[in-house]
Formats: sequence, C-alpha cells, structure tokens
Amino acid sequence: MELNGLSIDQAPPISAPVRFFLTAPIFGLIAGIIILFSDSSALMNRYSLESIAITHSITIGFLGFIMLGALTQMLPVLVGAKMPKVVFVAKYSFLLLTLGLIFMILSLLKHNDIYIYISMLSLGGGFFMMLGSMAIALKRVNNYTPTVKAIVTSIFFASTIIAMGLFLLYSYSGENISQYQIIVANIHSVWAIFGFGGILIIGVAFQVLPMFYVAPKFKSFCKKRVVWLISTGLVLWLILSIFQEEYTLFAKAWIALFFWAFATTVWLKLNKRRRPITDVTVWYWRNASIFLTLGAFLWIFDEYFKHEYIVMVGILIGGGFIMSIMIGMLYKVVPFLVWFHLNGMGYMTIPTMNEMINKNLSKLQFILFVISIVGFIFSFYSPIVLKISALSFCISMILLEYNIISPILIYKKTLKSKPDFDMSLFSQKD
Amino acid sequence: MTIKDFLATDHSKCDGIFAKMEEIAVKSLADAKPLCEEFIANTERHFQMEEKIMFLEFEIKTGMTQGPTLMMRQEHIQMRALMNNMLDAIEQNNKDKFFGYSETLMILLQQHNMKEEQMLYPMAQQHLSEDSNRIIEMMNSLVVE
Repeated sequence: MELNGLSIDQAPPISAPVRFFLTAPIFGLIAGIIILFSDSSALMNRYSLESIAITHSITIGFLGFIMLGALTQMLPVLVGAKMPKVVFVAKYSFLLLTLGLIFMILSLLKHNDIYIYISMLSLGGGFFMMLGSMAIALKRVNNYTPTVKAIVTSIFFASTIIAMGLFLLYSYSGENISQYQIIVANIHSVWAIFGFGGILIIGVAFQVLPMFYVAPKFKSFCKKRVVWLISTGLVLWLILSIFQEEYTLFAKAWIALFFWAFATTVWLKLNKRRRPITDVTVWYWRNASIFLTLGAFLWIFDEYFKHEYIVMVGILIGGGFIMSIMIGMLYKVVPFLVWFHLNGMGYMTIPTMNEMINKNLSKLQFILFVISIVGFIFSFYSPIVLKISALSFCISMILLEYNIISPILIYKKTLKSKPDFDMSLFSQKD
Repeated sequence: MTIKDFLATDHSKCDGIFAKMEEIAVKSLADAKPLCEEFIANTERHFQMEEKIMFLEFEIKTGMTQGPTLMMRQEHIQMRALMNNMLDAIEQNNKDKFFGYSETLMILLQQHNMKEEQMLYPMAQQHLSEDSNRIIEMMNSLVVE
C-alpha cells in the first residue's frame, strides 16, 4: 500500500496549475480576434481552416489548458498519488503545448508545412508528457472512486483524440489528405467533447457539487453507471459511424440522453443545495446546464438537417457548456490556491477568497460571455451579429484574465512585502 | 461500523450545521451566532477525535509521524484560525468578512475532508481494522478540551 501517498509536499507549487490558468484566456482572446477578422461564411463550415484554428484555440488553449492545470492540482487531492516529476512536467509540457498550439494556429492560417511539423512534435510531446505522468499517478491508486474512474476514462479518450488529432494535422501538410479525413475528424470531435470534456466534468461534478454547495449527493446508480453508459454509447457511435452510418442516430440519442439527464440533475441539485450563497460560479453552472440541454437536443435534430447545425452544436456544447464550467471553476480555484499557499506559508492577515476578485467585474464578465455565445448562435441568421459577438467575447476574455490575475498579484505582492510573517499558529500546542 | 464510516458521517453532520448557519447568516449575523458556535464545537470535537485518538493510533501502528497525519494536523490549525475569524466577524457584524471567511473555510474543509475520506481513512481502516471498535468507542467518549 502506498503509505507516502499523502505527504506534506504533495500539492504541486502554485505555479504548476496557474501558468495554465493564466494562459487560457489569452488563447480565448486569440480565438475571438480570429473570429472578428474572419468571413462569416468561412465560419459556418466546420472544416474551413479558420474554423479549425478557432476551435483548437478554444479546445486546446482554453479548455484543455484549464483541465490540465486543474488536474495537476486535483489528482493529488482526489487520487492521493503524486504525479511523477510534476514540477518538471507542468513546466515543460506547458511550454511545448503553448508553442505547439501557436504553430498549429499559424500553420492553418498561413498554410505552412514546416509550422505543421513543429506543432505536431510540440503538441504530441506536451500531451504525452502530461498524460503519461497522470497515467502513472492513476496507476498507483488504491481507492477507485467513481470520480477516479471518470478521470481514467476521460484520459483514455484524451489519448485517442490526441492521436487522431496528430493524424489530422499531418494530413494538412503537403498532399496528405486521406480518404479517412472526414470520419476521423468526426470521431475526433465527438470523442473530444463527450468522451474527454464531458466525462471529466461529470466525474468531477460528482464530488464538487455536493461538496462546495452542500447539494444532495448524486445517486449511486448515476455515479456507478453513467460514465460506463456514456462510454458504451461513444464506442457504439464509433462502430455505427464506420459501418452503418444510417443508424448513428440511435447512438447519438443514447449519448445525448445521458448528457441531458446530467444537465437536468445539475440544475435540480443546485435548486436543492443547502448553501444559500449565489455567486457567479452558480450562475456559470446553471448556464452550463441550459446550453448543454440545448446542445444535446440540437445534436440529435441536426441529423435530420444534413449536419447543417453542427457548428451551432459545437458553440452550444463547447462554448456554452464546457467553457462555462471551466470559467466558473477558475473563479473558485484561483483565489483558493492563492489563499491556501499564502496561509500555508504562515501569512495570516491576507484577503479572504471573496475579496480577491472584484464581484462586479466577474458578473460583467459573465454577462458579456453569455451575450457572445447567444450572439454566435444568432450569427447564423444575421451575420452582422457575428462581429458584435466576437467583440463581446474578446472583452469577456480580457476581463477574465484581469479577474484571475488579480489574486496572483496579491500572492506576488504578499511574498514581496512579507506583511506579517508569523509561524506561531503552526507550532503544536501540546 | 468502520472508522472511515464513523468519521465520514461526522463530516456530513458538520456540513449540515455549516449550511444551516450560512442560511441564517444571510438574514442576520447575530442570529447565526449560536449555530456558528455549534459548528465550531462540533468541528473542534471532530479534530480532537482525530488528533488525540485516531491519528495517534495510526502513527503508533505505522510509525509515520511526518506523513499524512502531520499535514491534516496543520490544516486543522488553518481551519481553527478561520473559525475564530468567523466569530470575530459576527461580533463586528461584518457580513462581507463573515462570508469571505466562511467561503474560504468551506473549500479548505472540503478538500481536507476529501483527502481524509479518499486516502487517510481507508489507510487507517486497513491498519487499525482489528482495533476499530475500541477506537470508535474512545472517539465517542472523548471529552473535548
């Protein structure tokens, strides 16, 4: 049995997750700027190079970065096993992923093969380091809770979508477009959204919702079966997509049903939560529920409209659902980490979590974000809305960066000024 | 009953009092004072059941005094300070401060409980299973200092 599983130095240094968190809104902003300067007709097509560049700036640069940063922090707490070489891995995988993503975006916008190869090597290396280290940590687990199982499953899906992603990226170099391009791209995106993002969020929600909001616990059936049922649906969908495309609707309905059930459950649990506090994080959870419900249903109806609405589904689920959860989480996690690390070092008279982020600015950021997502949807009918929505999105990303950098500045300032360095509280009384 | 179940149930009990305290504190801080004191008393009792009995037994049995229990003891100290701050905020009738401390305490407490329930308690149960009943009995009859 791993006796050293829980030790003093278990939590990684604050820089490990925070560098991912602070970079995420910058990639969000880059996506917003590309939307702002792109032609709306190009963005209606999911396979246009602009669409792919924007999508990955969000999915890797925003969502992926926040998820990976959060996992480096959460795995020791949830799993109890340290990621091997976490400081090294967090630093160098971050550098590789950032470099890889910048080159990926440039390669798509500038059609440059050398950029593609650089980005493949960097992204592949960065993901491999990070996921490999996580897999080793997860292998050491003794207590396989539903959350741990969900994380393991999502990491499995992450590995497959990364392999598919590298294949797709390679196919954009030279004349390498393969006959499997569309089917691989389809599997890559569906597994990424539902298999990696969706399952990870569901698994973490099992813990986080009852804990932070004192909401009723998830039912045992839900915790034990849902991840397995969704994974089965995703594998079934894959098989049908390859061999019996006309029947994929059944698998889609199966997957969408569970995500809709999850969205509804989150909403009801928030209604029944025992903590009365309503802050912007609760708004984000509710927002995520609404957009997930809309996205799940549209994904099914899209089948009847020759996939005309697939980009809209992506905006609803990727933007409205997954991004909402990630932003909401940042507003809780960043101030807590700052407080926890400073307090742990002996600084006692530091601001509380609630005082670290300006509440009005976080509300404004939320409103601008929601306006932009709703605006992107309406851009399908009225392209002029696209520019205003993109602008709103860009401002919301700048505000998000400002809001989460504020606690970090408090951290830096406290370390510099050392206001009341006092370890007396930590001396044992008896 | 296992040590894990006994202490995890106690966590939920404290969470319940905490939620009730916040619910009343939204309306009036002064009215929430008795519940805040009840929460602190229950949490203090829980800490002492661990520090004076379960952690000690675990440390003697495994020889690990610098491992998980040391980290948990340190987090107890952080939480005690926050609970005192909450009482001070009630005395000053400062809602912003109170909810600032209660929110910070809530997250600290929950990640602390999670570490205990996911790792330390199962480890303790494995090492102390033979003495489980005796340890639970001792924790039940603890007189809080």
